[in-house]
Amino acid sequence: MTNAATAEFLADLQDALPKGRFRAVKAGELDDPRGRHVGLAAVVATPHCVDEVSTIARLCHAAGVGIVPLGGGTGLVLGQVAHSGPAPVVISLERMTAIREVYPSENAMVVEAGAILHDVQAAAEAVDRLFPLSLASEGSCRIGGNLATNAGGLNVLRYGNTRDLCLGLEVVMADGTIWHGLKRLRKDNTGYDLKNLMIGSEGTLGIITAATLRLFARPSKTAAAVFVVEDPKSAIDLLAMAQATVGEGISAFELISGVGLDFLTETLPDLRQPFEVRPDWCVLIDLGVSAEAVPEEMLLALFEKALAAGLVSDGVISQSEAQRQEFWAVREHIPVGNRNIGSISSHDISIPVSRIPDFIPEGIAKLQALGDVRVNCFGHLGDGNLHYNVFPAKGLDRKDFDDIRAAVKKTVHDLTHAYEGSVSAEHGVGRLKVEDLERYQDPVKLAAMRAIKTALDPKGILNSGAVLRAAGAT
Amino acid sequence: MKVLVPVKRVIDYNVKVKVKADGSGVDLANVKMSMNPFDEIAVEEAIRLKEAGTATEVVVVSIGEKKATDTLRSAMAMGADRAVLITTDQGVDIEPLAVAKLLKAVIDEEAPDLVIAGKQAIDNDMNATGQMLAALLGWGQATFASEVKIEDGAAIVTREVDGGMQTISVKLPAIITADLRLNEPRYASLPNIMKAKKKPLEEKSADDFDIDITPRQTIIATEEPATREAGIMVGSVDELVAKLKEGGFV
Ligand SMILES: Cc1cc2nc3c(=O)[nH]c(=O)nc-3n(C[C@H](O)[C@H](O)[C@H](O)COP(=O)(O)OP(=O)(O)OC[C@H]3O[C@@H](n4cnc5c(N)ncnc54)[C@H](O)[C@@H]3O)c2cc1C
Ligand SMILES: Cc1cc2nc3c(=O)[nH]c(=O)nc-3n(C[C@H](O)[C@H](O)[C@H](O)COP(=O)(O)OP(=O)(O)OC[C@H]3O[C@@H](n4cnc5c(N)ncnc54)[C@H](O)[C@@H]3O)c2cc1C
Repeated sequence: MTNAATAEFLADLQDALPKGRFRAVKAGELDDPRGRHVGLAAVVATPHCVDEVSTIARLCHAAGVGIVPLGGGTGLVLGQVAHSGPAPVVISLERMTAIREVYPSENAMVVEAGAILHDVQAAAEAVDRLFPLSLASEGSCRIGGNLATNAGGLNVLRYGNTRDLCLGLEVVMADGTIWHGLKRLRKDNTGYDLKNLMIGSEGTLGIITAATLRLFARPSKTAAAVFVVEDPKSAIDLLAMAQATVGEGISAFELISGVGLDFLTETLPDLRQPFEVRPDWCVLIDLGVSAEAVPEEMLLALFEKALAAGLVSDGVISQSEAQRQEFWAVREHIPVGNRNIGSISSHDISIPVSRIPDFIPEGIAKLQALGDVRVNCFGHLGDGNLHYNVFPAKGLDRKDFDDIRAAVKKTVHDLTHAYEGSVSAEHGVGRLKVEDLERYQDPVKLAAMRAIKTALDPKGILNSGAVLRAAGAT
Repeated sequence: MKVLVPVKRVIDYNVKVKVKADGSGVDLANVKMSMNPFDEIAVEEAIRLKEAGTATEVVVVSIGEKKATDTLRSAMAMGADRAVLITTDQGVDIEPLAVAKLLKAVIDEEAPDLVIAGKQAIDNDMNATGQMLAALLGWGQATFASEVKIEDGAAIVTREVDGGMQTISVKLPAIITADLRLNEPRYASLPNIMKAKKKPLEEKSADDFDIDITPRQTIIATEEPATREAGIMVGSVDELVAKLKEGGFV
């Protein structure tokens, strides 16, 4: 258990830092996106440099006061929302937003943890490079938060998760010491991989203050297509065909269900949809190629081949960047449609790709046995990552399903586990999935995680209660 | 009724344009190119006239390098019936007067009842080809169209003018130039893209015409617009007002 931050402690903390390094909580910034909890904060600290972060950590460590690192607050699993226990010191990285160095010839860039993802992308673009991490929250989330959650997003198929985009880190440890790990090396086999331990640790092992990121050549031409497929099985066969035909140019392969399109029609009627007759399933394929290749021709060739193989029945190809953006707008508004309808329970799961066609209908059948529900299954099919979200049938209200919400979640997660999947594909564990982790994780791994936590944060002050149950808590 | 639509292959509207180091123009190497958005609207309007039974044939014409074939195929995938490509030397910009003269030659041969063009091409923003073509042909013109109806041998065209709308009637044959709000162009469906590959595309060379297309204008300089300066954060309304006064904005 962490200690409460006393008035005396807070006064000492203020004295230890230059003026203007603390502020009150802003309305909504620590709210649970589902509206069920509100995060606690004794104070929000806004340090300007790594040494100030170090000072805060050192004092908190000495007093046993909890710390919650905060990025853009877009996390979906309550990692940044400490809703019980003594109110912690929230360390917001909002004042550490510098792009420290850019090395175009090395395809690397050093940025501070508070840089907004969109600004990181723009800094790469300014030197004609690509930083490929891309999520719908990119205008608000900060790179430190992306690293802390090992965020996935739209381009994982081609470029990997945030983990794969990071070469080095600067981290303030629980006791305030600073790990200077901002290397720019692609090869560095010098002992344990602390960087990869910190990435995805959701603020429980250290406070990330800066990172070296990998950059890539920008594809000079992009195009997108939406292909109508009969079912998820055809979509997966199409994925294999696409990878064999157009290879690594595919940067996204997104599954969209008819249910999701219905939600858009119901709640966002002005959003333009690609087809007049609403398909049951379709996939959005995004292609980025360089130099002389013509992505539209490659997509057409893929369509012709897939049509001959009976995998697709209809489709559209973007004839301009504007159309490509319109197709993406459909994909990006699906979560908005979901929110407008109001889900009973949402799940961010991954399944071995070849087992997805069996999983989807089996899950729907099991869920419909629980109640009159609809499933909107969509997401990063190329990565085996499905957003498998459960909604009331048309005309019904989610409130009427409160009593089966837990059973819905357990049904989806049990089935995911049975299919050798993961109950958190890209959003992390936070405080939302601590119990799921305990239920489904390999026990030896869980024990090793606890041992690592104790070794690096013996007083348990870093984001206590996230990922692992706080020592002594039930 | 035959409708002819000239279409231009231009740098994609959403591509960030880079100026060549020597300022002689815009760098087009390996840049995404698409159909001029106003031409897309013109094609859509022509196809709608055909679908409504008003037009019988839609012919699209492009003047440019060989790759303009892609643009013509896109127009045929949307629903145009056939295409004419007049090839010019790569990298030479064809000015509106030369384009209008070449189009006139095609029109003399094709004898359409109506020409729908885009109001301007988004690369050079000349806003001149439609008007010049009307003058060369001695036809009526209705520019900046936001609505088109065909009635009794005339086109009833609503035009977007400063501060409002104007509706005029022009006797056919006539030239209409399309504005942004005329319609929302359809997506080219993949089955139609496949069909478009088989539609007729006639290729001619600009050299086949007795028309001088050498540029008459000289580009003196091309410059990027000034970049926006970074903003600053202010802590309070008072500070904001003070800063605005300091900068002489209020
Ligand atoms: C509209 C929307 C779309 C999204 N789409 C995707 C998606 O496609 N893929 C995906 O993976 N996720 C997605 N997410 C969730 C995603 O996890 C977050 O958007 C993002 O990665 C979190 O960054 P943040 O800066 O907002 O972090 P926060 O929400 O502030 O924090 C998230 C976690 O990281 C910790 N943390 C934050 N900064 C640091 C730091 N500097 N050091 C140590 N720990 C830190 C926090 O304590 C917390 O545990 C989406 C969220 C939204 C709202
Ligand atoms: C000619 C030559 C060329 C080489 N080229 C390269 C190169 O291009 N790139 C490169 O990275 N390396 C290179 N190496 C070195 C490289 O590390 C080894 O070739 C290889 O990766 C080690 O595998 P091994 O099975 O021989 O391991 P061993 O030599 O048997 O063991 C290496 C280490 O791994 C441990 N270890 C072995 N097996 C296990 C296990 N199952 N579980 C846990 N620990 C285990 C051992 O305890 C030891 O610490 C080269 C070596 C030679 C001789």
